[in-house]
Amino acid sequence: MNPQESSPKKRFFFEDLEEDLSGKALRNEESLLFGGHRPAPENPVSEKDEVSEIRDVIPDLSHSQAEMLLLKCESCADRSERISNAVSIYFENQSQKERSVPEANMPLITSPKVNSNFGVTKKKDYGTRLTKKPKPSVQWRRFIGSIQVSALATRPTVQPLKYGCELQIVCAHSEESASRLFNGNGRKRTSMANFVRLVDAERNREVGRVPENVARIVLPLIDFDDVEFEATMIFCDNKRLSVGDSFVVQLDIFLTSVLFEKKPKSYNYDSREKISYSQSNVESEDEARSRARRIALLGLFDEVNMVSIDDSTSEDNEVFEDQTQVIDLGNYDDDNDNETSSITPEPKQEDQLTESDTLNLNQLKSIYRATLSTDSTRFLPETTPSEDDFALTLRKYQKQGLTWMLRKEREFDLAAAGDSSNQFDEAKMNPLWKKFKWPKDLAWGAQRLLNNLQEQQNACNGAFFYANLHTGEFSKEKPILKSVKRGGILADEMGLGKTISVLSLILTVPSDREFINQSQNFVAEARNSDSSIITSSLQSSTEMSKEDYAFATTLIVVPMSLLSQWQQEFEKANRNSNIKCEVYYGNSITNLKTLLTKTTQPPSILLTTYGTVQHEWSKELGRSRGTRELTRTNGLFSVEFFRIVIDEGHTIRNRSTRTSKAVMDLAACRRWILTGTPIINKLDDLYSAVKFLRLEPWSQAGYWKSLVSDPFEVKQYKQAFDMVSTILDPVILRRTKLMRDADGKKLVELPNKEVLIEKVKFNRNEDEVYKFFLNRAESSVMEGLARGDLLRKYSTILVHILRLRQVCCHLDLLGSKDENDADLNGKQLCQPFDLKNVLSRNFKESTRNFDERSFQNAVVHIRHKYSDDSELKSLECSVCTADPIEPINQIVFTECGHAFCQNCIMDFINFQTSRKQDLKCPNCRTFINPHHLLSVAESGSKLDLKRFDDSSYSSKVQALMKNLSRLQEASSGEQVVVFSQFSSYLDILERELGSNFGDKEAKIYKLDGRLSLKERTTVLKNFANKDPARLKILLLSLKAGGVGLNLTCASRAYMMDPWWSPSLEDQAIDRVHRIGQQNDVKVIRFIMENSIEEKMLRIQERKRTLGEAVDADEDERKRRRVDEIRMLFE
Amino acid sequence: MASLPKRIIKRLVSDPVPGITAEPHEDNLRYFQVTIEGPQQSPYENGVFHLELFLPDDYPMEAPKVRFLTKIYHPNIDRLGRICLDVLKTNWSPALQIRTVLLSIQALLASPNPNDPLANDVAEDWIQNEDGAIATAREWTKRYAKPN
Repeated sequence: MNPQESSPKKRFFFEDLEEDLSGKALRNEESLLFGGHRPAPENPVSEKDEVSEIRDVIPDLSHSQAEMLLLKCESCADRSERISNAVSIYFENQSQKERSVPEANMPLITSPKVNSNFGVTKKKDYGTRLTKKPKPSVQWRRFIGSIQVSALATRPTVQPLKYGCELQIVCAHSEESASRLFNGNGRKRTSMANFVRLVDAERNREVGRVPENVARIVLPLIDFDDVEFEATMIFCDNKRLSVGDSFVVQLDIFLTSVLFEKKPKSYNYDSREKISYSQSNVESEDEARSRARRIALLGLFDEVNMVSIDDSTSEDNEVFEDQTQVIDLGNYDDDNDNETSSITPEPKQEDQLTESDTLNLNQLKSIYRATLSTDSTRFLPETTPSEDDFALTLRKYQKQGLTWMLRKEREFDLAAAGDSSNQFDEAKMNPLWKKFKWPKDLAWGAQRLLNNLQEQQNACNGAFFYANLHTGEFSKEKPILKSVKRGGILADEMGLGKTISVLSLILTVPSDREFINQSQNFVAEARNSDSSIITSSLQSSTEMSKEDYAFATTLIVVPMSLLSQWQQEFEKANRNSNIKCEVYYGNSITNLKTLLTKTTQPPSILLTTYGTVQHEWSKELGRSRGTRELTRTNGLFSVEFFRIVIDEGHTIRNRSTRTSKAVMDLAACRRWILTGTPIINKLDDLYSAVKFLRLEPWSQAGYWKSLVSDPFEVKQYKQAFDMVSTILDPVILRRTKLMRDADGKKLVELPNKEVLIEKVKFNRNEDEVYKFFLNRAESSVMEGLARGDLLRKYSTILVHILRLRQVCCHLDLLGSKDENDADLNGKQLCQPFDLKNVLSRNFKESTRNFDERSFQNAVVHIRHKYSDDSELKSLECSVCTADPIEPINQIVFTECGHAFCQNCIMDFINFQTSRKQDLKCPNCRTFINPHHLLSVAESGSKLDLKRFDDSSYSSKVQALMKNLSRLQEASSGEQVVVFSQFSSYLDILERELGSNFGDKEAKIYKLDGRLSLKERTTVLKNFANKDPARLKILLLSLKAGGVGLNLTCASRAYMMDPWWSPSLEDQAIDRVHRIGQQNDVKVIRFIMENSIEEKMLRIQERKRTLGEAVDADEDERKRRRVDEIRMLFE
Repeated sequence: MASLPKRIIKRLVSDPVPGITAEPHEDNLRYFQVTIEGPQQSPYENGVFHLELFLPDDYPMEAPKVRFLTKIYHPNIDRLGRICLDVLKTNWSPALQIRTVLLSIQALLASPNPNDPLANDVAEDWIQNEDGAIATAREWTKRYAKPN
């Protein structure tokens, strides 16, 4: 090669670099040297020599450039290493430059001037290249990119290889069976580089082999027609090659029409095959081959730097890291990932980090935002259910929801026809597919050889193509995602009437009409046709035979607490006397199968509980132990339902629970999930929903893991979320209260909600006890923090925290062990706690204050004043004018012999103390000692005076009472709900409220987990009945009342204690603030001042902003927990 | 301690004080419209004085807030109608009832105390020229505290 020849070549390679260094003096005449002498290696060398040596290797390099490269490698002691480093730096820069060119991996020939240079010289210099006859199957091919390959010479050559001469790629392995190349896991066994050889086309002589990473791409693909490779000699130092020398080859890659044709079976890796594959776990040769092919394609796309185009968010194009991996179903072990990543370039760590950092931290929100399909739902037409069937009036958005659900069930004729009824399944691209742009043809041939005709391009016009790199499928058309399953997720926010919506669906389509029609036909044709008529609905069913199909029954699985509510809602909504609802709970139905499949009028709705399903499932499983097949003789699992609806569907979010497994095993044609909170903790919660709905292919654990869980783990949130929303979009409908309809009106106009925090001060006793526990807790936490093993002592610390929270509520709680306390669920309390001990230790002093003599004096004094017990029973409190003070245990005497209600005098004492004012008897204005108080106790038939024990007096309860009294005085017929998470606190409240309010003033109800289903129903019913004369107070435990309940008869709620999770608190409030509420809602949260409760508020705040640990991995969660504990005690 | 104002109202209604009325406001049971007749043989005789009374949240631990709405010339009542009375301030006790408070105010009208003044100019006038001050008080009563 002579310098003239190398000139265009130099431009081709190095133009960018030159531009970069244009500030430096570029001595072009030097840079043109090509084929300088390589100094003998044994010669002693100076740096100068190193420079020239580099320039020997890279002849286009200017002297100064070479020096710069060397400078970068100064750290290497060894000379030859230094040189080789310099060279490799150069080539790395080079390839980066190339990659940085946007979109299409454009090489560097851009200026017309250069092009004209080519035009003159090239054709002449390289002569004609043999136009390869395309294989008959190939109609066209199109360039997608080229790779610079540094090949290794395997045979010495007589002459230097000519620049631009064509090399052939030959695979030596064609006889090899795939099983020799791959082991059972699809991992390759031997080096593929051994099999891929470069052959000098002209001389038909092998010259070298390609490096392993290229061989891995080439080898699996070269035997197929769908990808073509062309290799062109680029650089061999202009000297003859010895074995082991390296030379540079440009590998142009083309996709051919074959790739875009329908695939033969062996490539078509559809889900059915995968199932069998993952089950058998042994890879057939074909599968191994196909797998290698997919990996190779993936690697190929990475090598040529094809970037997928994101249609929806074009501005994100550059951020979007294409992290496609071949999905290995069944056994996705780590080694496998390693292998794939060895082909793919190292992901740019920093980029990804910044990307995830800039993501909105509140990821739950963003997921929801993604699933809020505002536009499509806003313009849904409305379907009004027939008035003969449905007694209630649906709201606008509920009618739209009905349309949506009918469409999801493919009942298009019943759904209101919109202007575009099919637009609903609008062209959503299958998320496994990526869109690619055809790059400009920069193949060696196209650039250099004008005789290389353009005919191929014409055969395939269009700027884009689509590829599913997971399966190795390609298409010119946009692959449209179609959901074929009937059913979906109705995820409307709580209070939007999911129950009503589903009932309207059931009443509109109570049974499988297709099935009825066809079975009628079947009966008609039964005699003259063979038995191969199978209804389409049965085709979709599993192994159930036709007899087991409960074609007219919808099974509704609900939490136990909602059973009766569903029943009531159904009674309200149903107007069709033929439609019945049965409850399947306990032993209510003996022969379910017969009832559902054999009777003429089976119940249209079968209500059951998660517990029943789980119980029956376990029983079936036990009976069929060994066979591992459910026997399905009777009961829920013996039939296939027409439709299943699971209410509060997040119940099955953990798919390893028995309940979840049991529900998954129920058979039905149409499946619906109702939930207001599809995600509770983590993204994987959604997987259960996908699995329940049998959404293929994502219900394959492997798909879900590699497309959602894994990206999420490595913090590629955007990718995971995009995937989730593409999966769910077609099947989920979620509206929130804040959404607006097409007219801009809010979906639901709820009355205002006001949430106030009322700060309550500790009284003296509480303060002392609180400090006692705080000290203990603090020292324990500080110890833990100092030692760094805080979390190992987590349960101890939780007990400490619990104590503090209990003191905030009521001192009496300290003794109780509360089964409803979530924090300690399942954990053993370290030690049963002895309240008396602590209290007496703390209050010895104060009780001793009231010495025996003063006490006796006071008793004498009072007895003198009120000698008769009956007088004690008719005392008047001069503060509240209660007359008489009732019950008598509420009477408190001062030392000076004046009687007050316990609450009044305690209020007074606390008020005066807090204002630092004198404690004088309200009646006689003598100073009183707060410890010198007496109370009245009944001992037998007599009344006795004793020292008043104020240790269990609670400021918070007092605050509640004050509020309730004020409410009662304003309007007596109010209904209020009081929430607490401690059910024993509810007991105390019941007791204290009961002693404070007379039966005529207030009626107190209590609902907690200890009530039976029947008792619950009674309590709720009684509470809902308004009594204009009496205040109605419902004491409600969070656990029992957190879900589903409808308490809209009340417009006031009191939250006695803060919860860790703000969303649970919101949910509780939403029991009251939901559809049907007529009045403004007022909520008061009692928070003790300067206590752990205030800090809990701060943690709530933090949780609100961070999103509830959705995004957190285990470490992150741990860190947060430590943070939270630290927050509590700082 | 339930239904405080109701009990108070009951008491006020069942045990009325001559010359004093107190009616709770329709919307707010803690707000009372009060009238006090000027005590006989005082400069305020034959006058009917309107007052407002409000029970604060902390009532009865805290004293009710009372204020004259009718203009009055009195050394212990200022231009804004605020009243200087110990039981409304430091000597308040939760055992005191509204009626006792109102009675105390009536008594204050009967015996002004210029040595513990709230309205300084009035008090000075009262001390230096008691007759003139009393005359002014009478005149104001006639002018402002007309019974309807």
